[in-house]
Amino acid sequence: MMTWIQHHPMTIVGLVLWATGILWLMPGKKASKPRAHMIGVLIVALGLVTFCLSSGKAQSEFADDVMFWVFAIGALMSGVLMITARNPVYAALWFALATLSTCGLFLLQHAPFLAAATIIVYAGAVIVTFLFVIMLAQQSGAAGYDQRSSQSLFATISAFVLLGAISLTLQSEKIDIARPSLDVVDSSGASSAATENMGAAIIADLPSTDITPVMPGNVMSKADADHPVGNLKGLGKSLFGDYLFAVELAGTLLLVASIGAIAIAPRREQGAI
Amino acid sequence: MTPEEQRFLLVGAGLFVLGAIGFITRRNLILMVLSAELMLHGVSLTLVTFGRMHQTNEGQAFTIFTLTVAACEAGLALSLVLSLYRKSHSLDIQLWSELRESDLSGPVLDSFGERGDATSSYENIPKLTPAGIAPKDPPRASTSASATTSTRT
Repeated sequence: MMTWIQHHPMTIVGLVLWATGILWLMPGKKASKPRAHMIGVLIVALGLVTFCLSSGKAQSEFADDVMFWVFAIGALMSGVLMITARNPVYAALWFALATLSTCGLFLLQHAPFLAAATIIVYAGAVIVTFLFVIMLAQQSGAAGYDQRSSQSLFATISAFVLLGAISLTLQSEKIDIARPSLDVVDSSGASSAATENMGAAIIADLPSTDITPVMPGNVMSKADADHPVGNLKGLGKSLFGDYLFAVELAGTLLLVASIGAIAIAPRREQGAI
Repeated sequence: MTPEEQRFLLVGAGLFVLGAIGFITRRNLILMVLSAELMLHGVSLTLVTFGRMHQTNEGQAFTIFTLTVAACEAGLALSLVLSLYRKSHSLDIQLWSELRESDLSGPVLDSFGERGDATSSYENIPKLTPAGIAPKDPPRASTSASATTSTRT
């Protein structure tokens, strides 16, 4: 841990600045005037930039780097401004911006379908519903409970201790992951060297060997040279092949949740909200 | 783990932690639900990064299920918030920390700050019937004291 502190002093400084800015911006503290609010925002931005700069240099291209900085700092900054907003409408709008930045990060991770689905679901449905409920429930302007926060000091300190522990774990140890090389797995199900070894033990127990053995690992969802990660074809095969029952269950869950929401929400004959 | 994947994981952890802070500190019911959604964003980013690290599509497939559950959660939570708002005419979460029997002692609230404007404005909260029948003539002082404590509990 001490070596980590010595090797990554920027991370510590960034985390401390970030936490200080959040505490500064929390409702109920001094940052009610616009100038004090700007100072808090600057502190948070400084901490965020320091934290992101210290989080490792990548060997990627410069354009990818710039895109990553924009999206990462945008997501984290809008997250900070969301949880410290005094007006819940602004909080919902900052959350929309955080969602858009997260979708940008999804795009950088070669997940275009996921980015599109997240934008449609969140920005199209969830944010609109949240804004609808906020405007339905808070018609009388700013409420007193939005101007105060409860136990912000302890919450911020413990949360940032957690974040510091996560960054220590990520930055101090070399975590080796057995990456499957892309040419090992054949998508047609014909056995390669690795899967044959795994399947041999299964086949030995079976009475007849002409049954195609079910592999312990999901062969379909593995990426191969033809279908790299994030390919829509591979994702669709994985969803509607490996996880077909889960997809059906998710549809049932949506149905049950919508029926439950209709049943829980106040009726019109029970009076106005 | 390459440094590029590492920084994606760091951003995911940051989003999760921010959502956790918002969930604990804010007192608005809607903002608490929004903070939970922010935590889900962090989890989704981490899942996608893990899927890319292992060269499988399972991270993205699982994120789609997370998205489904998040949509269900938002709908259910908002209808719950609306029905709570109908009872108390406020979105303050601390009103609902008084959701208890009226003759019990109150919870320890927010000892590091002020109580705020948490005045309980709701009526018609259901009350449990007291257990047993109260004795007609209390024979002795000690047993009647124990009887009243048993009805309280």
